[in-house]
Amino acid sequence: MIPLDELVLFSGLLFSLGIFGVLTRRNFIMLLISIEIMMNSAILNFIAFAAYSPAGNSLLEVSGQGIAVVLIGLAATEVALGLAIVLALNRIIGSVDVADAMQLKL
Amino acid sequence: MIDYFWYAFLVPLSTAIGFVVLGLGGTFFKKGGGFIAVIAEGAALVFGVFFAYQESLSSTLYHDTSFVWFALPDGTSFVMGTLVSPLGALMLLVVNIVGFLVVLYSMEYMAHEEGLPRYYAEMMLFLTAMNGLVLADNYLEFILMWELVGLCSYLLIGFFWKKPEAASAAKKAFLVTRVGDVLLFVGVFIFFTSLGGIVDPSITTSPYPGQVCSSAGINWACAGFTFAPPNADSNVVFLSANSVASVTARDPNLMTLAGLLILGGAAGKSAQFPLHTWLPDAMEGPTTVSALIHAATMVAAGVFLLAITSIYIGFTPTAALVVLAIGGFTSLFAGTMGLVARDIKRVIAYSTMSQLGYMVMAVGAASLVAIGPGAAMFHLFTHAFFKALLFLSAGSIIHALGTQDLFAMGGLLRKMPVTGYTMLIGALALSGIPPFSGFFSKDGLLSLTWTAAQHYPGALVFFLMALVGVLLTALYIFRLWFLAFSGTEARESSAHPAHEPSWVMRAPLVTLAGLTLVAGFLPLLSGFSHLLPGVQWGAFGYASSGSGFSFSQTDLFLGLVSLGLALTGLLTAYALWGNGRVFRLADESPLKGLHTVLVRKYYFDEAYDGLAHGGVLGIARAFDWFDRYVIDGTVHAFEDLFRIASERGRRIQTGLVSSYVSWVVFGLIVLVFFFLYALPYLTSAWGGG
Repeated sequence: MIPLDELVLFSGLLFSLGIFGVLTRRNFIMLLISIEIMMNSAILNFIAFAAYSPAGNSLLEVSGQGIAVVLIGLAATEVALGLAIVLALNRIIGSVDVADAMQLKL
Repeated sequence: MIDYFWYAFLVPLSTAIGFVVLGLGGTFFKKGGGFIAVIAEGAALVFGVFFAYQESLSSTLYHDTSFVWFALPDGTSFVMGTLVSPLGALMLLVVNIVGFLVVLYSMEYMAHEEGLPRYYAEMMLFLTAMNGLVLADNYLEFILMWELVGLCSYLLIGFFWKKPEAASAAKKAFLVTRVGDVLLFVGVFIFFTSLGGIVDPSITTSPYPGQVCSSAGINWACAGFTFAPPNADSNVVFLSANSVASVTARDPNLMTLAGLLILGGAAGKSAQFPLHTWLPDAMEGPTTVSALIHAATMVAAGVFLLAITSIYIGFTPTAALVVLAIGGFTSLFAGTMGLVARDIKRVIAYSTMSQLGYMVMAVGAASLVAIGPGAAMFHLFTHAFFKALLFLSAGSIIHALGTQDLFAMGGLLRKMPVTGYTMLIGALALSGIPPFSGFFSKDGLLSLTWTAAQHYPGALVFFLMALVGVLLTALYIFRLWFLAFSGTEARESSAHPAHEPSWVMRAPLVTLAGLTLVAGFLPLLSGFSHLLPGVQWGAFGYASSGSGFSFSQTDLFLGLVSLGLALTGLLTAYALWGNGRVFRLADESPLKGLHTVLVRKYYFDEAYDGLAHGGVLGIARAFDWFDRYVIDGTVHAFEDLFRIASERGRRIQTGLVSSYVSWVVFGLIVLVFFFLYALPYLTSAWGGG
């Protein structure tokens, strides 16, 4: 079994990768992908801690895996919504670059 | 026996009814309802003379405190009482006789003016307040009436409110007397806090040596003429000579201060130095108002106040000496300004100030030598008639010519003989020429002041000032008379030919002239002399008498001196202005500078303006600066803080999603740092607290 440390470290690396993507990419679709990566790092955390829950505490194990499943669904929904926004944005401003969508400022 | 005096409230009530009727419905009557005013004041005159007569017969105090005005939780109650006293009865005569004649005179004099219902209603209110004032039994009620007459004075000076001079003169009169009123308030507060409720029957010392107070009857030397009854219960605000004596023994400086503050109030109302500046300007009002309010009654209220307070002032020689000094100085000071005034009414106004100065001086002298203020009150009585006469005669001239400038008049005696001769009687009385009333009253108060100067040499200076004032009085009033009446032709032709007024205006003139003739002899009646505590009929005049001071050769000598001075003034005036001559100072005359100072009224108006601009305005500017920059500045600083913070803060909102994310990440890092490192460190550092 993979040690918990490595799992959490991997999850942190994934999260940092996502944040790096969000901060540096200007393409909306790339942003969405980066957010997905961050989301998956969180899901991986749930799975890892569920697997290492104290012996005999099946409630923690099951709820960790359950939340992971719910989060996968949530991520799918989020991508669907995000892609819809990207399509709408593309239709309005003719671009998927975040630098072109700066109207929502004071 | 019926107690007539219970009905004394009828005097003010008559005019109060007149005030309500004219104030509410004056416009429904012809000519502004003048006849209603005459009827109301006529009723007040009948009642006033009746009560004064009753008082002169009985010469006891009638005191009624049955009507409680308001009560304090600690049991102190303030009453709207009635006090019929000798001095009050004398004032009832003065106020209502002059009041009736002036209201009658107004019927013609004011006939062509606008706003007559207002005029009559305000006159009625004034007479109500003035009658209330002389019947008041305590200082609080007195102040209420005092303020009411001040209000009426303000309203009536500003009767021609469309004229800016009249409006500002009214304001000036109100504000200058206000200074005195504030002093009076404080003086009365001192009386109230130090004397109120103190009844110590064991102290029966009189301020006047050799006299013992009894608790009953009228005894000038004790509580005989105070604002409090000898038998008052402790619930009534109580001031008696006994309590004054006990407080003076404890704290003489306090009583001196109270006396000086009361003098301040009287000086404001009676236009004494240094609060005199309002009276000449008050001549902007109708002449009838000047005659009634600013010559005979309201300005005399200050002297009346001093007279009824003189028993307290008598305990502190310092205060009494200051009263004497202010009066004596004003008598000369005002006379000098009267010498140069061009306006006929202003000359008479200065003479009013000067004569009031004599009265104030006499009250001070009476307090010093410990007798009643009868000499001052007698001069008040005679002065009211001849001064009202002078004003009404002047009004008759103004009515006929439409000008008040003395140098535009001249030769009026031929055209207006009644006015001319009645005014001559007034002028002779004012100068103090026998047998006119002014001689007797002025002689009485001069000899009283001389007596005081024997005991207090400091008073001698002011006695001499008053003597010079006698000379000036004759000089300025005959300057006025000769300029107006002597000669053959007017110096400037007026729009209207001069003519004698109708009987409505002549009757008051003749009546007042008659009163001026007889008033000097009234103290021969024993009843009348009851109204004048401290004055007795002497061989040559009214000599002061009382405890140890009796008529003497000195009085005879003084009478001759003052008569000589008055005649000198009269003859000088004839030489300079008689027979149509007009004396003017040459431009290169060394006296020209003095003349300018007098015309500018010793620069008092300028000085007070400077005081207002430099002092009051300076303080106001300081407060304005504080308000503008410190208080408002604090508020504005907060405003600026938030405005600038938001100006800067809004720049975070770039609209670029990446930048928002950077802020979120930044916040996340800060939170992580805080919870992982800072918080555990802080909790351990503070002992887990």
